[in-house]
Amino acid sequence: MPKIWVLRGIKKGILTNEFPRKKPTAEEIPGRAVPPVATTNSDWVSGEKVCPTGAIQSAPERRIDMGKCIYCQRCAGSGFDFDVSNKGRVKALQANVNDNNAAEVAKRMRIFKRSFHILMIDVGSCNACNLEVLNLSNPYYDLTRFGIFFTNSPKHADALIVVGALNRAMVDVLKRTYESMPEPKLVISAGACAISGGIFRGTESFVSPIQDVLPVDVVIPGCPPTPIQILEGLLLAVGKIDKEAVLH
Amino acid sequence: MIHKYVERRQVQEVGGPIQLSSIFRAGGHSYALLTDTAANKTILSEVPARLGKEFELLLKGGQAPPGAPIDLDPGSKVEGYGLFTFRYGPVTYGVPEAGGFKLVTYGERIIKVIPQVNFKKRLVENKVIGWKPEDALLLVERSAGNFSASYSTCFVTAVEEALNLDVPSQAKWTRAVAIELERIYNHLYVFGRLAEAASQNVATAQINALRERVLRLNGKYFGHRYLFGFNTIGGVRLDISKEDGREILDSIRTLIREFSDLVEYFLSSRIFLDRLQGTARLPKQDALNLGAVGPCARGSGVEWDDRLTYPIEPYGDIYINIETDNGEDTMARTMVRIREIQSSVVVLRELLDKMPHDGPRLEPSSEYSPISSNDPADFSFCRIESPSGDLIHVVQLDEQGRIANLQVRPASLVNWIPFAKSLENNVFTDFQFAFESFGLSYADSDR
Repeated sequence: MPKIWVLRGIKKGILTNEFPRKKPTAEEIPGRAVPPVATTNSDWVSGEKVCPTGAIQSAPERRIDMGKCIYCQRCAGSGFDFDVSNKGRVKALQANVNDNNAAEVAKRMRIFKRSFHILMIDVGSCNACNLEVLNLSNPYYDLTRFGIFFTNSPKHADALIVVGALNRAMVDVLKRTYESMPEPKLVISAGACAISGGIFRGTESFVSPIQDVLPVDVVIPGCPPTPIQILEGLLLAVGKIDKEAVLH
Repeated sequence: MIHKYVERRQVQEVGGPIQLSSIFRAGGHSYALLTDTAANKTILSEVPARLGKEFELLLKGGQAPPGAPIDLDPGSKVEGYGLFTFRYGPVTYGVPEAGGFKLVTYGERIIKVIPQVNFKKRLVENKVIGWKPEDALLLVERSAGNFSASYSTCFVTAVEEALNLDVPSQAKWTRAVAIELERIYNHLYVFGRLAEAASQNVATAQINALRERVLRLNGKYFGHRYLFGFNTIGGVRLDISKEDGREILDSIRTLIREFSDLVEYFLSSRIFLDRLQGTARLPKQDALNLGAVGPCARGSGVEWDDRLTYPIEPYGDIYINIETDNGEDTMARTMVRIREIQSSVVVLRELLDKMPHDGPRLEPSSEYSPISSNDPADFSFCRIESPSGDLIHVVQLDEQGRIANLQVRPASLVNWIPFAKSLENNVFTDFQFAFESFGLSYADSDR
């Protein structure tokens, strides 16, 4: 019997999720995406002590920097309500637009609403972020239904997704890639390593967070960010969802 | 402290079935770790007098300081009229990572390949010195994200051996389950990339959908899609119950059934097979001489799998079949991966059925003290069969139980030169197939 791929494809039915019309299920984002919260002061102090990347800050004001959080769940033992079960409701995905030039960014973003070509550049990641970005093209997430496409050349790219802790050997490469992109252009930094250096902050080869080198428009925290989180960041970048809608 | 499966003897010359796996320094001495592929033994020796030129190059690649890319150039210079050196990477979709190649081409034909590594060297080994093992674990498991379960298990096993901890069996069996899941999704990734390179779009989508299902399974039962953070010193954080085990097994079984069905479709597609057959041949003798590991060595008929040659618990108690193929080409390596995915389900069934339930971890104690030893050169090491081959961690602890020395020998590092050799005299369009079939990862070799 001849093997016909197309028939097989049709037989499988639709796998694609209904994001952003429906909230992502716990299966799509394992429960760890809930930002940890503690109540008592001693919890905050002990949380600050165990946090390996300094994401938890107890003084002068209580603050959790999700850009530094690597989801190691160590603070769960010291009073922080880190939902490690899979039944937890997804509260915040924390994709943020940089507030400094919000109006200008919003103007630039409107241009890309119907066609948006992205180029991923790895500047020293562990490969997990790369795979999660590539995962966006699989049938469960299907990037192309939003008019977003991967491209292989910076000359065709509207946005640069930067993953990984910026390595000394990649600084020039990153700058030259950015320069060869046509205007207007966006920069999206994905993953704790790109945003703050994450756990690799302080290694010999780490240079600086991406926003110190390039003007970053959208940041997507996570270690690695799940495809839904990256998708949300991308939709935010093209203005298909607004900032308020991101926080479920 | 050296594991019972390791033979200690002096080896004079590397060659034939005796392969050099790693050279490391511990307590002021240099040691060589060798593998006897005929007798399936790990040998610990002083550094042999004669090393291959390629191995010295790999040592150079492994020890190079961060910040500057280096060429893994195996020497022989090629010059002539019409030769063109083509630079590929580090920003390209063909290699979705920071790393590159110099391809010396004559028209369409590739004369020589020079892999360029070190674009993203983070030098994890230097960074963790003086750290507590639990803190070092965070860095070690993030040095190669897609081999995270292998990395963390390898590191943790070596540390536990140095601390002489009596870890519950359930923890060790759970780690083996995680490594098998990791093997399945990495092999599916390779297969998906091969299908994508052959422009089989429906097929790529279906393989990628299968991979996504494995990742979700990881997320559901191990708390992380890429298996970060489930290992700790002295056990694992989670308790895989009998019901969980049955559910994992059921999901994997359906998944593998669908995969086998897909493979049948692939193997009846001449267009796909033509791209794989005869591409990037790595003869068995070359694979042995150059020290290839993992599925690429097994695709050339070298019977070597760390699960059998260095059987830490639980691999001694379960049946494992070494999947080899004598085809020596891209097709053979792909077939090895396909069969490993299919036999992983057998391994998983045994692991999950026979898993003892004696608690997932030891009670965490704040201070670990390493067993007292008079020999300052005492070290422990572990070998794990990661998805792309043999991974070695050598660990030394100081009196406070902190890391004094860590040396990692990743699988991808040794496979660069076999890959470069195999691609000679192939045409440029075969590059993608050769690269993906070796399953090389820059994050792994530039840890």
